[in-house]
Amino acid sequence: MLIARQTVQDKIQTTKASIGNTVTIQPAGFNSFSAANNSLTTSQLNVVSKLPHVTGLIETLTDRLTTIGTVSSPRNFIGQSNSTNTNQTSLKSPVKLSRRLNRGGNRLFVSGGSGFQLPPNFSLPIVIVGTNDPVQLNTANGNVATLVSGKFLNGNSDNNDAMVSQKMAQVNNLKLGSTFTAYSTQLTVVGIFASSSGGTNNVVVVSLPTEQRLSGQAGDVTLAVAKVDSIDNLSSTTAAIQKALGSSANVTSSTDAANLAIQPLNSVSKVALYSLIGAIVAASIIILMVMVMIVRERRKEIGVIKAIGSGNLRIAAQFMVEALTLTVSAAIIGIIIGAVASTPLTDMLVSNATTNQTSIGNRFGAGPVITRHFGGGVLGGLHRGISNIHAVVGFNLIGYGLAAAVVIALVGSALTAFIITKIRPSEVIRAE
Amino acid sequence: MLKVVNLKRQFKSGDTIVTAVDGVSMTVPDGQFVSIIGKSGSGKTSLLSLLGALDRPSSGKIIVDGQDITAINDVQLNDYRARTIGFVFQNYNLVPNLNAIENVMLPMEFIGLPKSDRLKRAKLLLEEVGLSDDQAKRKPGRLSGGQQQRVAIARALANKPKYILADEPTGNLDSETGRLIFRLLHDLSKKEKTTIITVTHDLEIAGKTDRSFKLVDGRITDK
Ligand SMILES: Nc1ncnc2c1ncn2[C@@H]1O[C@H](COP(=O)(O)OP(=O)(O)O)[C@@H](O)[C@H]1O
Ligand SMILES: [Mg+2]
Repeated sequence: MLIARQTVQDKIQTTKASIGNTVTIQPAGFNSFSAANNSLTTSQLNVVSKLPHVTGLIETLTDRLTTIGTVSSPRNFIGQSNSTNTNQTSLKSPVKLSRRLNRGGNRLFVSGGSGFQLPPNFSLPIVIVGTNDPVQLNTANGNVATLVSGKFLNGNSDNNDAMVSQKMAQVNNLKLGSTFTAYSTQLTVVGIFASSSGGTNNVVVVSLPTEQRLSGQAGDVTLAVAKVDSIDNLSSTTAAIQKALGSSANVTSSTDAANLAIQPLNSVSKVALYSLIGAIVAASIIILMVMVMIVRERRKEIGVIKAIGSGNLRIAAQFMVEALTLTVSAAIIGIIIGAVASTPLTDMLVSNATTNQTSIGNRFGAGPVITRHFGGGVLGGLHRGISNIHAVVGFNLIGYGLAAAVVIALVGSALTAFIITKIRPSEVIRAE
Repeated sequence: MLKVVNLKRQFKSGDTIVTAVDGVSMTVPDGQFVSIIGKSGSGKTSLLSLLGALDRPSSGKIIVDGQDITAINDVQLNDYRARTIGFVFQNYNLVPNLNAIENVMLPMEFIGLPKSDRLKRAKLLLEEVGLSDDQAKRKPGRLSGGQQQRVAIARALANKPKYILADEPTGNLDSETGRLIFRLLHDLSKKEKTTIITVTHDLEIAGKTDRSFKLVDGRITDK
């Protein structure tokens, strides 16, 4: 438990230390199904980029595209005509619909006894992201994408260049220079990136002005990440950004996000601490009982040794040496076993405590897909980091363990010394 | 010289008070070999415990070479037990996890003798009481009763005490072995000029001592 606790504490420290100096800006009440209704604007954000301490601003506009000849949502299926939707692409999604969604005869959900059947031509929508800084895709994304071929597109020039994921390229047979259609416009692949998680497989990246033009949302932005020069200015700058944008935007600093992410870790740490205290108390009681039992068992021997001239002190010292040997070797064995066992133990505690992370991520992000792509980037990265904890045995930990052993031995020795002084040789001699 | 003056030891057990030693007075000159006889429960062990400072009397004095040991503190008592007295018990009472040599070395540790000296003297003493080198390396559990009592006598002699107190040292042994142990004690006392006070049932043995005291209900009836 000592090891589990230290591991978690260490993780809290490194998580805190690894927080970037970033501020996430989203439209107030933003959600993925009404993205177009509720956006930030480039002009609003220009004010933000001119605020003191803001060293950079990544702006993105995210939209969803339906594969031509398919339907991408039950809403389309039940009411609206698919033909009126201009948000279409020739690309097919590399993401296969999960089995879970398909289970029960293609029923997406059931309400009032009559469910919606998924149409046979159903396909997941493709996420198109317009960003002014494609190079920063990595950081904004919790480090999930790297460029495998081609180049990064220029985020500020309005052209018809696009970057696609490696999976997307495979499924749609795209190479550098290949073209595909989106919003009835021909786009050219200039870069292909690899994705370490499934979240970005379904993504097409274009420049911000390109996406604003193609989607007909001139000047709109769905998510912005501001970089702050120093972590010390993070909270003041967060406040300044919120003030500049007013109630139209949700402004969250990376510390807020990190604190949310750390929250379950803190409770794990607390559980580990209480378990540790419990374990030490239990161990102390057991060790003290064993020591008292040993002294009682050797009562006669102690009486004899006294009868032939030993003082109490000498016998007590002998028992103290034995107690120290016992507890210190127990502590060393405990530390070794703990070091071996604590990684799975910590993983278990942490994974139990962080299962709610996804929902926290969603609150910050825009919806399942986009959350993982951009909005959930910071949290997603943290979550992955938090789940990935390894026990490390530090020297101070060994120190605490041995100190606890010594304290238990000393208390035990005091107790046994008391019993030893009470043993009268004459009683023992008579007893056979 | 050992002089006992009006010594009393009372035990409280529940409501009743048992007077195990009831006003004993006796004098034992140096170098004498004396025996104490008496029925079971007559107070022999209680008296010997008081003489060996394993127990404190309810009243009375025990004057050993001019010093009243009933009036000295616990640290001095330890020293008295370690240096002046050698105790031999009916059931040997060797330390079970120490071998014969280590058992004999133990009391020498209490008076701060260096280890090499302890080892040398322990080997010498074990040889004197008739233990082979092989037996000397055994723990008590692997020695016969007679051999264990020899080790116990060697241990009692370790610090060259002026007095040896033995509580039925032959009580757990067959008569043959008992006689051998008794002769050993007797010879050692003559050789080292040690005063020996031994409790015994065996009247044959008691008859061979310099002097014999008889205890009846905690009182000496001189014989
Ligand atoms: N700790 C004690 N508490 C109560 N009575 C005791 C205690 N020790 C000895 N006695 C009593 O004192 C008397 C003398 O005992 P003891 O000296 O052992 O006799 P002996 O050695 O002659 O057989 C006995 O009646 C015994 O029951
Ligand atoms: Mg007796």
